[in-house]
Amino acid sequence: MTSAIVAQGLSKVYPRGGVTALSGVDLEIPAGDVFGLIGRNGAGKTTFVRVAATQLMPSAGHLSVLGHDVAQAADRIRPRIAAVPQESRPLYFLTVDQLVYLYLRLRGHERSDARERTDRVLAELDLTSIAHRLVSRLSGGMRRRAMVAMVLASDAEVLFLDEPTTGLDPIARREVWAAIRRARRERRTVLLTTHYLDEAEALSSRVALLDGGRVRLEGTPAELRQRVRLPYRVTVEGVLTRGELEPYGEVSEVNGAHLVFAREREARELAMAALGRGARVAMGPVSLEDIFLQVVGRRLDDESPVEEPA
Amino acid sequence: MSERHRLRAILTLAYLNGVVPIRTQPLYLLNVIASPLSFLFFVTIASNGVLLDYAVGGGMIMMMLSVGTSLQTDISHYKQDLKFQDVVVASPVEAWVYVGGMALSELVYSLPGLAVFVFLWAINGWVTLPAALTLAGVLLLVWSFASALGFTLATYFEDVRETFVFSPLISLGLSVLPPVYYPIQHLPAAVRPFAYLSPTTYAADLMHGAVGLGGPTFTGALIDWAVLLGFTLGLLFLASVKARWREP
Repeated sequence: MTSAIVAQGLSKVYPRGGVTALSGVDLEIPAGDVFGLIGRNGAGKTTFVRVAATQLMPSAGHLSVLGHDVAQAADRIRPRIAAVPQESRPLYFLTVDQLVYLYLRLRGHERSDARERTDRVLAELDLTSIAHRLVSRLSGGMRRRAMVAMVLASDAEVLFLDEPTTGLDPIARREVWAAIRRARRERRTVLLTTHYLDEAEALSSRVALLDGGRVRLEGTPAELRQRVRLPYRVTVEGVLTRGELEPYGEVSEVNGAHLVFAREREARELAMAALGRGARVAMGPVSLEDIFLQVVGRRLDDESPVEEPA
Repeated sequence: MSERHRLRAILTLAYLNGVVPIRTQPLYLLNVIASPLSFLFFVTIASNGVLLDYAVGGGMIMMMLSVGTSLQTDISHYKQDLKFQDVVVASPVEAWVYVGGMALSELVYSLPGLAVFVFLWAINGWVTLPAALTLAGVLLLVWSFASALGFTLATYFEDVRETFVFSPLISLGLSVLPPVYYPIQHLPAAVRPFAYLSPTTYAADLMHGAVGLGGPTFTGALIDWAVLLGFTLGLLFLASVKARWREP
């Protein structure tokens, strides 16, 4: 397995304010695959992407992209990468078609090649019908898709997509997912940051969980499940009290039901016992959301302040 | 990136940020031409036409300075609000290609205004080859240093509103207060040396030669060119080492 991106002891402290965004990050991102970076707001995802995309200087440690150090050889990296930054928006006076086509021309594509790539990507992302509409007249979701189309149309080997589906409706999200899967089929490396854990799980071969500027867990979703202490979840509705459930594992309450994280044997025993008492029961392996909760100790959408550096 | 690709990128940016928006909204053109034409109007009316020559030369200089202030606003807006600079950084396009393309795009907005001033210049019978070369050289240098200054400042701003503070100050310091629209002799003697701190004083001095006002002596012209060129190279150097292409 060759690596597209390798971080060793990577740290980033923002000069203004002295905020530590990354702290000793070690990460290896394989080439030709989709890698998901997950974490809460302020976990360091965007900072990592910006350093890797040569938009931000690291403070310490090393990060190489396609074998070149981002601090020393950015000029050798840039022709081979493309990025959709977080919260980026297209230039509002362009049409969707112009946005993609002119971006490709800017990158040096020949006219016929740029035309062909533009038409293809617009068709694939179902944007052909609005190709000649001004982006200022599109919904936020449509604009986001246009931005994703722009970088997917390029010949970049590594794509940085920082929360590419934020604000998209479910159908539009699926269309962007299809485009990202196409990039993977073309053996391009995609570094994807997302708040949606189902998205990370659906698209990424490997994921890293960032929290407080550190990598807390990294691997395939299956490996992550094996690494957590309590790899099964049992949802129990009704009849059983919290006290009756606690011997089986860790109990929390979600939307009026009890959620129990447990080892496999205890999960099975609990499920049988609860069914025997007439409760409604659902059991399965933990999701990425559950893993996040177990490792970080809080839900991904929990925005309350933490003591760790953002 | 090969030279051909660099040129293509510059022209693409000029088209993207210059031609396309004007085709979408032609009123953009009025924004650039409004201030120089207003000054031309007031200076000419207030002086009973005596300072028309100065106002034409000053108007052309102001047009080029406005390229720098517009560039400053556009680059700041694209960087902070649209994250367009980050998109370009993560691509083969180098910083100087981006600035060159964007500066050229701002020049596109100035062309109709410039055409008005060149027309006035021509109908007043000032057209000679040396005058045309002087005019072109001065405008090129003012456009270059204004663009370098605009880009460098824009990369430091954290909000586009900061450009609203700096742009009028730059206009005031480089085109309103210095003797661009009027003869330097109109300044009190005690203040006159301060006027020579502005590069546009030297540009205006050269321009006066091109608009039938006699212009500087040969030695004076050499000094004017040297200062203007030195200032431009200095600002281009400053932009190359201090402008924030990649964030620290």
